Amino acid sequence: MSEEKRKEYDVIIIGGGVTGTGTARDCAMRGLKVLLVERFDFATGATGRNHGLLHSGSRYAVTDNESARECIKENKVLRKIASHCVDVNDGLFVTLPEDDLNFQSIFVEACLKADIKAEVIDPKLARLLEPSVNPHLIGAVRVPDGSVDPFRLTMANALDAKRHGADLLTQNEVLEIIKDKASVVGIKVIDHYTGQKNSYYGAITVNAGGIWGHHIAEMAGINVNMFPAKGSLLIFGHRINKMVLNRCRKPADADILVPGDTISVIGTTSSRVPYDEIDHMSVTKEEVDLLIREGEKLAPSLATTRVLRAYAGVRPLVAADNDPTGRNISRGIVLLDHEKRDGVSGFITITGGKLMTYRLMAEWTTDLIGKKLNNHKKCKTDKKPLPGSDKDDPKVKELTAKIYSGHSMALKNAERRHGSLTGHIPMGDNYDDSLVCECEGVSVGEVRYAIKELHVKGLVDLRRRTRLGMGTCQGELCGCRAASFLCQQHGGASKAKDDLANFLQERWKGMYPVAWGETLNEIQFTSWIYEGIYGLHALNN
Amino acid sequence: MKFDTIIIGGGLSGLICGIRLAEQGKKCAIITMGQSALHFFSGSFDLLGHADGKEVTSPLAVIPTLPAVHPYARMGIEAIKNQLKEVKPLLMRAGIKVHGAHETNHYRLTPIGVMKPTWLSLDDFTRFDNPTELPWKKIAVLNLAGFLDFHAQFIADGLTKLGAECTLAAFSLEELESIRRNPSEMRSSNIAKVFENEKTRAKLIEKIKAYTETSDCIVFPSVFGLFSPHAMEDFRAQIQKPLCLISAIPPSVSGIRTQLMLRQRFQELGGTYMLGDTVKEGVMEGDKVHHLLTHNHGDIKMQATTFVLSTGSFFSHGLVADPYSIFEPIFGLDVEGPCDDNRQKWYDEQLFNKQPYLAFGVSTDSNFKAKKDGLVIDNLYVSGSVLGGCDPLKESCGAGVSILTSLQIADEIVH
Repeated sequence: MSEEKRKEYDVIIIGGGVTGTGTARDCAMRGLKVLLVERFDFATGATGRNHGLLHSGSRYAVTDNESARECIKENKVLRKIASHCVDVNDGLFVTLPEDDLNFQSIFVEACLKADIKAEVIDPKLARLLEPSVNPHLIGAVRVPDGSVDPFRLTMANALDAKRHGADLLTQNEVLEIIKDKASVVGIKVIDHYTGQKNSYYGAITVNAGGIWGHHIAEMAGINVNMFPAKGSLLIFGHRINKMVLNRCRKPADADILVPGDTISVIGTTSSRVPYDEIDHMSVTKEEVDLLIREGEKLAPSLATTRVLRAYAGVRPLVAADNDPTGRNISRGIVLLDHEKRDGVSGFITITGGKLMTYRLMAEWTTDLIGKKLNNHKKCKTDKKPLPGSDKDDPKVKELTAKIYSGHSMALKNAERRHGSLTGHIPMGDNYDDSLVCECEGVSVGEVRYAIKELHVKGLVDLRRRTRLGMGTCQGELCGCRAASFLCQQHGGASKAKDDLANFLQERWKGMYPVAWGETLNEIQFTSWIYEGIYGLHALNN
Repeated sequence: MKFDTIIIGGGLSGLICGIRLAEQGKKCAIITMGQSALHFFSGSFDLLGHADGKEVTSPLAVIPTLPAVHPYARMGIEAIKNQLKEVKPLLMRAGIKVHGAHETNHYRLTPIGVMKPTWLSLDDFTRFDNPTELPWKKIAVLNLAGFLDFHAQFIADGLTKLGAECTLAAFSLEELESIRRNPSEMRSSNIAKVFENEKTRAKLIEKIKAYTETSDCIVFPSVFGLFSPHAMEDFRAQIQKPLCLISAIPPSVSGIRTQLMLRQRFQELGGTYMLGDTVKEGVMEGDKVHHLLTHNHGDIKMQATTFVLSTGSFFSHGLVADPYSIFEPIFGLDVEGPCDDNRQKWYDEQLFNKQPYLAFGVSTDSNFKAKKDGLVIDNLYVSGSVLGGCDPLKESCGAGVSILTSLQIADEIVH
């Protein structure tokens, strides 16, 4: 494979999660020349593997008031800058007969201290507001929780970074951190699609690899003591609740039920996993049973609702530097200036934190980069809306008119997913308006737009951009329809067929831990079509 | 209501069983919710396409080597040979013309352009004798504009690998515009309804003919002939070049037609077809089934001398899995499979590997009489894919098991 030196950057960011793309956006908005590399696709790590909860911060109020304060601040920011990624549904913290009602007043006091609006309401009113809640509840507190779509949020950050001149490379994995004496000066990557290896040089390299950042730091000869903590979640086949449901007690397993788009998510569990297993997370039978058992307590109808999928993410928890045992773990933001910490200049690690505080993490990181590069521009990411949430976009008016003259369900769905960018989706003729994915209402036009504009390299990427294949049929019919659109992307139909097989395998990975009832019926149907009738193989089609 | 035999399930297996019994003068009823696996029919019936991961050329040579739990092994090779002779004539009497032979498998071209071994193909579909060589050089793969359920590029890819030169083209017809306007109406059965009109079919033939001069064969989605079994003959006569039809994403037009024709045959023979009904409960008396209660008939007892369970596998709800077990929902019959009730053993983490859940099915004795709590129920037979003991996907044997076990049971009941 040939190797070539490419152009130089001010900042190279490793990791296409929400922190990496957020940092790319911030840096690019401050006029820095940015490259972002991601080994798979945007939002494939912990970013896309959580509740999708727009925390009000209440959950942390009692145990970590500072985090709670950060959360509510960012919650308010995201409602403004990412309106098309969030659903403002509010949340309830409910006390069940088995919980201690005394905790409620401690909880409310802590919320108010962190500046979170927390209002004790009558359990009867709670049942009216949220009919799915356990009718035996003895207490309820209303808080400004919501839902956030992490895929959309990450993509919006990536798009804005690109608009401000950043280069984005997905499917590019870092092989080596290039050092010159005690300085990091660049990276060597391999492009998984072409097999080509390239080197890129930059003044500052940012390690935003989440839990994988441990390994990236190692490549630079630096030890960042990370402790992978696995959290498993279940997705239910339809949206059971309107408001976020939490248990009003100290954080424990399976005590948050979050509604999102067409589904509800219960989670999480929490367990330490060895570092060498982080690429192979699967949800165990015990975790599934626990999530259902505990989830039913929040919303009894979960017992009879189809479980669509199970998935697990790995939280990037960092141990304090002087504590090799990992007992003293921080859940807050960790920004490491390796020049100060390890005497390695040109290298920064940003990790820890939460989905909610990604923007703040990006801001801190970019401030540090600015200091090092003598760039004194101010952060504006908390003021400027993200692409999709921009009400001033000239296409918005036209779009609004279209939606409210309203005939197309696909258009309405697309508007939910792409916000003010929906105007860029080809529509209005029979072809572009026809549906590829019927469960989620994804049109041909939306598929074409995503492939063209949103860094889609395969079906799994397309799913993250559009929700194609995320509905009750789990890609059973739309998979093959969409695969045809990617023939060109793959440079041929054979590869597109392999990609289809890979997509179905990826869907199955989330289905087998819950493979009973309708989920088992669905996968049998899928296998019957693709393996039985079509003769599709796992590889080499 | 009293019958000689009541069959639960109106898919391929239930219908074949009902026809065979009715042809011999039995008073039968079929209780069916309507849709079945025939609604995603490929156009071909498989007997045994693969065994031990290898392609099968002569099914009869391989059947004796199958494990004892396999429905074919339970039937025995002699019974299979006897019943095989009956299949084509029975289908023919229902007006269903097929080609192919059980002595040697032929091949069908799949919707992604792959050759798969099979037993009988409907007359509309092309029979290939050699999976590595095509009888044509230049092939036009045609589609209807905006029809997303036919994978022209995938088919062309497969044909190109077999040495053909493919041209891809799509055209539209005025008559299809109204369904195209609705974003989710361009599906094969809706298109086929439009082509029930003879004039529209004639227009389609004209469109296709435009490509015949430059190609040796036309490949086209199977989107006509929903109710008219002879539509294909018109196409053949006028196009004068081989027309190779390929099923699109379900619903399968040829499958719906096949089911309708089998149903018609059954009803013409005097059979009672209870469409849209499902069995609520099977009531036992001693070691026999006494009657059934259905959703549509309330407390009216459905009585019969014998009963046949042809309810299909999981997606037809003949078998149900909950987190703790796999069970048969109507009678609570014994279910056996390659593993126990630990659900982690039901599946393989790789989707395309052998999936143990597929081999689960109802326990029977050697005459396909159902077992409950280890005891044989004397007047309840089990046929088709609710039987288990085989992997219809890895072995390509689903249709064969459905048809042959039904014929065998019908003979048992008559004699």
